[in-house]
Amino acid sequence: MAVALRMFRAADRILFVGPTGPVGRSVRLDPEVAAALAGDGGGGVPGELLGELLRHRPAGPLAAADPVLEGTAAALGLDPPVGRAGRRAARARGWPVPSAAEREFYLRLGALRLRQALADPVETLLTLAREEERLERTSRREAAAAEQFLAGAEGGPAEYAERWARFREGLEAHAALLRDEVDRRARALLPNLSAVVGPRTAARLLARAGGVGPLVRMSSSRLQLLGSRRRPGAGRGPRHGLLLRAEGMEAVAPDRRGAYARSAAGLASIAVRMDAVDPTLRAERLLIRRARRLAALAREASR
Amino acid sequence: MRSPTPFAPEPGSPRLKRRRESPHDTFWTVGAGGPDAVYGERVLLRPDGVSLRLFEPGRSKLAAGLARGLAGPLPRPGERWLYLGAATGTTASHVADLVGPLGRVYAVEKSLRPFARLLATARRYPNLCPILGDARWTERHLGLIPPVAGVYADLAQPDQVGIVLANCAEFLRPEGALLLALKTASMGRDATPEEHARAAHRQLAATFDLADPIPLDPFHRRHFLLAGRAARGPGASGSSGPPLVPRVPERATSRPAGPRAGPRW
Ligand SMILES: C[S@@+](CC[C@H](N)C(=O)[O-])C[C@H]1O[C@@H](n2cnc3c(N)ncnc32)[C@H](O)[C@@H]1O
Repeated sequence: MAVALRMFRAADRILFVGPTGPVGRSVRLDPEVAAALAGDGGGGVPGELLGELLRHRPAGPLAAADPVLEGTAAALGLDPPVGRAGRRAARARGWPVPSAAEREFYLRLGALRLRQALADPVETLLTLAREEERLERTSRREAAAAEQFLAGAEGGPAEYAERWARFREGLEAHAALLRDEVDRRARALLPNLSAVVGPRTAARLLARAGGVGPLVRMSSSRLQLLGSRRRPGAGRGPRHGLLLRAEGMEAVAPDRRGAYARSAAGLASIAVRMDAVDPTLRAERLLIRRARRLAALAREASR
Repeated sequence: MRSPTPFAPEPGSPRLKRRRESPHDTFWTVGAGGPDAVYGERVLLRPDGVSLRLFEPGRSKLAAGLARGLAGPLPRPGERWLYLGAATGTTASHVADLVGPLGRVYAVEKSLRPFARLLATARRYPNLCPILGDARWTERHLGLIPPVAGVYADLAQPDQVGIVLANCAEFLRPEGALLLALKTASMGRDATPEEHARAAHRQLAATFDLADPIPLDPFHRRHFLLAGRAARGPGASGSSGPPLVPRVPERATSRPAGPRAGPRW
């Protein structure tokens, strides 16, 4: 079975025309798709492919043998020997030969979405914060392995030790840049949360929640446990997750860290709501409450 | 001089080659994206210009599945596959090799950083179509993913099975193939890896004829590969309402009907 469909596009609508005339109604394109197509003069995307893309369910007429897309694929000729044979075969069957490679469409849409996402400060911060966290984890693991090797080999081969030292320097320089960038962006985007728990922890909370919205909607008890390894359970559940790295935590006695995580979560959930409304720094009262809480915990410990 | 060990095509997927070696066989895919390595893998260039890329079990869960005896279904030349969680395209590039220049791999990835690399890989892979987006948003991908012959998923998410089922219902053809790399560590610690694998198997068994979960250790610890075919076309059930495009009269073809109607695309 072979079906020839041609696509005609006007702005954000497309219409398919088969051998006997228009097929169905015109279809509205997703605005993003339309934007990716804009500027290619109408000939850039194989209409036959788009026709297929626009959801021919298996029950539809094109699904049985799927000649439209197969013809498109055959005619693309991207791998020369197969492509030429495919092109000939497509012609012999009367399959439509599209004007340009469909992948151009995906590449362009992908680049467009990536650009859009990176223009969004929240998305960028999410990406950088995840990267920073991953780098911290992997470089710690790498350093431990190298040091073990060097210790085991009694100083290790000199050349290895030297190369490792140089690599480590480079890695640390890169990590420092990344940390600065994350901190700077977190202070700009979430100034109040950054003031309360520190910018790095603010960025990590944001990354784990997946955005400002999810973080704002989160209860403070979830916030307290966000990023914890253990599951909350009836027995000894976790007391903290990412907040273990909150600013101020280093001064708290180990057995009081859960208590501080609870207070920090309460303050953080207020701070992030302030940031969502208006990202300007006005967390003085929260900071006073934080200082008071830290002092109380210190008194408890010294008793 | 010893003659080199030959590469034998795998019966389930002709662009996948097995080389008998000790201590164990190696798997190679016929490169569809030019002679250069994608992520530093070994590449052999044959005199006829064909490149073979080493498909290493330690790097890819699909390769680990093969090493652990996965029989299929595998991506075949000319097929379209949907790949969920493509990351930088390590495994996706091999799947693209397997479907060959006339097939397509629609590779969905949601994280920006790996996606940027996936995009770079796709620039030289003619049959790899990268899609930046969350696999949970199946409806946003309706205009981008046509019906596919197979779905490969490697999402490492707690709700990975649900995401895969939703995508299969939307995009997988009747009797389409499913390969699911299951990371049990991201499914919670209240069950053993084997229990997680069995639960996923049960959850999928309503729609798919599945083989037993294949454990991927020692290559990937606490990971399993689930493989099978849709029992009753999950895609068909989603089609309520009239089709978008009404039936078009068939064009008469002048080709004589032979025993083989033409090449398989
Ligand atoms: C284990 S990695 C995949 C590795 C890759 N399959 C390979 O072998 O080369 C999992 C990937 O899935 C992506 N991912 C997780 N959830 C996703 C979702 N809902 N939609 C799309 N991608 C997702 C992650 O960003 C990550 O890059």
